[in-house]
Amino acid sequence: MTPFMFTMAGDPKNPAMPGCGSCHPGGGGLEFDRDGKRYDQRLKADPALAQSLDGDYFKSAWDKTGVVEADCFVCHLPGYNFKDRIKQLIFQNFKWASTSASGIGQVSGTIREGQAPKVVYNKRLFNEDGKIQLDLSGPPPSENCTFCHSFSDMRKRGFSWNDRKNHDVHNLRGLECADCHWAIDKEHNFAKGDENVSSVRDDLDNTMKNCRQCHEQGFMGAPRPAHLSVRPNHLDKLACETCHIPALHRAASEGFDVTTGALVSYAKLGAQKVGDYFDWKPRYARKHKDGKVWPVNNLLPVVYTNQDKDGIYYPLMAREIGKGYEKIKGQLKDKKPNKPELHTPEEIKLMLSALSETLKGNQRFQQIKPSYHKGGQIHYLNGKGEIVTAKDETWCGEGEGFNINHNVAPASQALGANGCADCHSDAGHIFTGKIVTDLFGGDGKPKFVTSGSLIGAADWAFQLNKIYQLYITPIVSWGILFLVFGLVLHYTGQGPKGADFYGASGEIVRFSLKERWTHLVRMLSFFVLLFTGFIFFYNNVTLLQVFFGSGQEAVVFHWVAGLIFVAASLVSLGLWYKDARFEPYDKEWFTKHGGYFGGKEVEVPAGRLNAGQKVFFWLTVVLSLIMGVTGILMIFKNSLPLTLNFVLATLHGFFAIIMVAAVIAHAYLGTIANPGTWRALVDGKVSRPWAKKHHSEWYKEIGEKKD
Amino acid sequence: MAGKSYVRWAFLGMALALGLMLAPSLLSAKIQTHAPFELKTEDGKIINPLTGENADQPYSPRQTCGTSNCHNYDQITKGYHFQQGWDRVKDDFNKKKPWVLSDGMMGKF
Repeated sequence: MTPFMFTMAGDPKNPAMPGCGSCHPGGGGLEFDRDGKRYDQRLKADPALAQSLDGDYFKSAWDKTGVVEADCFVCHLPGYNFKDRIKQLIFQNFKWASTSASGIGQVSGTIREGQAPKVVYNKRLFNEDGKIQLDLSGPPPSENCTFCHSFSDMRKRGFSWNDRKNHDVHNLRGLECADCHWAIDKEHNFAKGDENVSSVRDDLDNTMKNCRQCHEQGFMGAPRPAHLSVRPNHLDKLACETCHIPALHRAASEGFDVTTGALVSYAKLGAQKVGDYFDWKPRYARKHKDGKVWPVNNLLPVVYTNQDKDGIYYPLMAREIGKGYEKIKGQLKDKKPNKPELHTPEEIKLMLSALSETLKGNQRFQQIKPSYHKGGQIHYLNGKGEIVTAKDETWCGEGEGFNINHNVAPASQALGANGCADCHSDAGHIFTGKIVTDLFGGDGKPKFVTSGSLIGAADWAFQLNKIYQLYITPIVSWGILFLVFGLVLHYTGQGPKGADFYGASGEIVRFSLKERWTHLVRMLSFFVLLFTGFIFFYNNVTLLQVFFGSGQEAVVFHWVAGLIFVAASLVSLGLWYKDARFEPYDKEWFTKHGGYFGGKEVEVPAGRLNAGQKVFFWLTVVLSLIMGVTGILMIFKNSLPLTLNFVLATLHGFFAIIMVAAVIAHAYLGTIANPGTWRALVDGKVSRPWAKKHHSEWYKEIGEKKD
Repeated sequence: MAGKSYVRWAFLGMALALGLMLAPSLLSAKIQTHAPFELKTEDGKIINPLTGENADQPYSPRQTCGTSNCHNYDQITKGYHFQQGWDRVKDDFNKKKPWVLSDGMMGKF
């Protein structure tokens, strides 16, 4: 497209839709050619240029239309008439556009019709001295920005502003575009955000404050978020927009198809057209720059290229594609002429064969090898004229999606405001949502995948975690309560086992100082793990605030206590593994249920550790190992795949529940159920009658050794 | 007399309420009346519709805003929105995608 065509591009039948030049405020390429000369002056001096192949002048009439100088009022005049600007540019009244669209004067006549435009100024705007007086806005009003950006960004990401149906919390608080996108230099470059897709001037990316900067600094009164109920790693791995833009309410584009030679835009599935009031939820992608999960909208392309001799896939121009389509459109049965939706191998082969013919002799290419790109696949014809389909690894298949970063919801509507189930449940769109990956698959219907699979969460891992989150977590409290209730029943029914024999003479050292310290360290670190784990398990913000201040601090406590616990567990394994070996007499202990049931005391044989303690010992060894491995891996979870993290979190949580239940039972049996036992862990000593009653085989062993 | 006093207070109250309603919008307004200025043609000639002087000519933003040491038109128009990649067009801008000549809307396709 030449600059002249660029300037006047637009649809005369739809003057509300800006063409290229309408959204260009003038100056630059609308005023000067690539040599830095004004188009109008140069063409007047050398009219033959319009007949030359000089792209800046080819078939142009700059000498009559004038140039489009930078129109300051496009941005700074509230109420600027953009539709009139579009009209004037389509009419080729380039140098009259600003006078007309600003409302300073009326313009009649068009260059396009070969007329000489006439201007009549609005004298009411002028003072007696002939000077004009206008109300201008220093920072451009948002309406002036959105005239252009509402069209392009609606399609890309469902963006709209000052739109009650597609609200934005910043807009509701009275912010204007220029409050964030202010001028960063004297060249009037504006602060730019962070765009995932390399669109324009990437060097200006991140020149504006991001969410975190404004909200942590309280910029312009931005509230500082505490995020106490949000797991710290969520803040590390999710962009703010992921939770705070859970849905959009104007239909963006789902994709586009150029098969007919014209751009056919497909609105979000279910919507009538782009821009309609329509609820939809974003797709999510990991951003290549920071690895965070961002909400995006992928415009699914249905495009054609030609692979030239240099191996590069060159996009085919609209007119080149159109020629091929004209050749086959009569052969396409049951197709809408403007939306042919080629999806069967036969249809694709037909179109590619037609393009192979119509592209013959095309001077742009040294080799004719057309390809059809759709739904992440490339289709082309092999040497035998057969259709070949493969994964699209060309630039057409690189679909990162346009960032969604406006239309921010109030915090009360953010993901997580209603708890973990906003995401970790079947209703959690971020994992279970259906995302279109092909506008029309092999059967002509759209193809979908789950949203979670696009960010690395395997469906089975999500389901596993969901069972834990949705079905196990809510009943854990009841389970623990029932366990305690059962123990109380046992205590009141069965009663404590024997006397503690405190008064008896002749004490035996049951546990050495090393053993007691190991148990103590293991017990204390377990208490810290239990407390911090409880906070995580129930997202208890009150306890978090009172004891830790932030989630990250609680996490660090959990890590440190966990490492100490694992180390102490390994020491205990070394200390007690010999005592925990099962012996033949343990069978009797099991047969008689340790003497804990039946309502009367029953003598059962036991070594230094009874069979129940041995079971508990080995159980805690295994559990400590599982908890240790999963826990230590989770310290590095920001570097691990999401599927693995789901598995680790599920295992860690599930086995923590079992461990807590086992420890509660252990504590009961080691204290009130067996008086005198606890003392052995304090001063290490027990009475001889106690040893004989509770650990008869060990007592014999000691006696034999002494003898 | 008592009736007139009542009406006076009612008016005063209404005026106060109106003032309070308008105050936020007045405080937040960013729109200002620009100092009066002369429109100029692209040749730099003054346009005066009241006298008819050059009143058949469209005004030129370059001459109107960018002269008389008011605004630096040439500097301002170096910004991205005005250039849209035009100032960065190069034949070898993107070797993997040779059809892309700049990182702006002009030269992109």
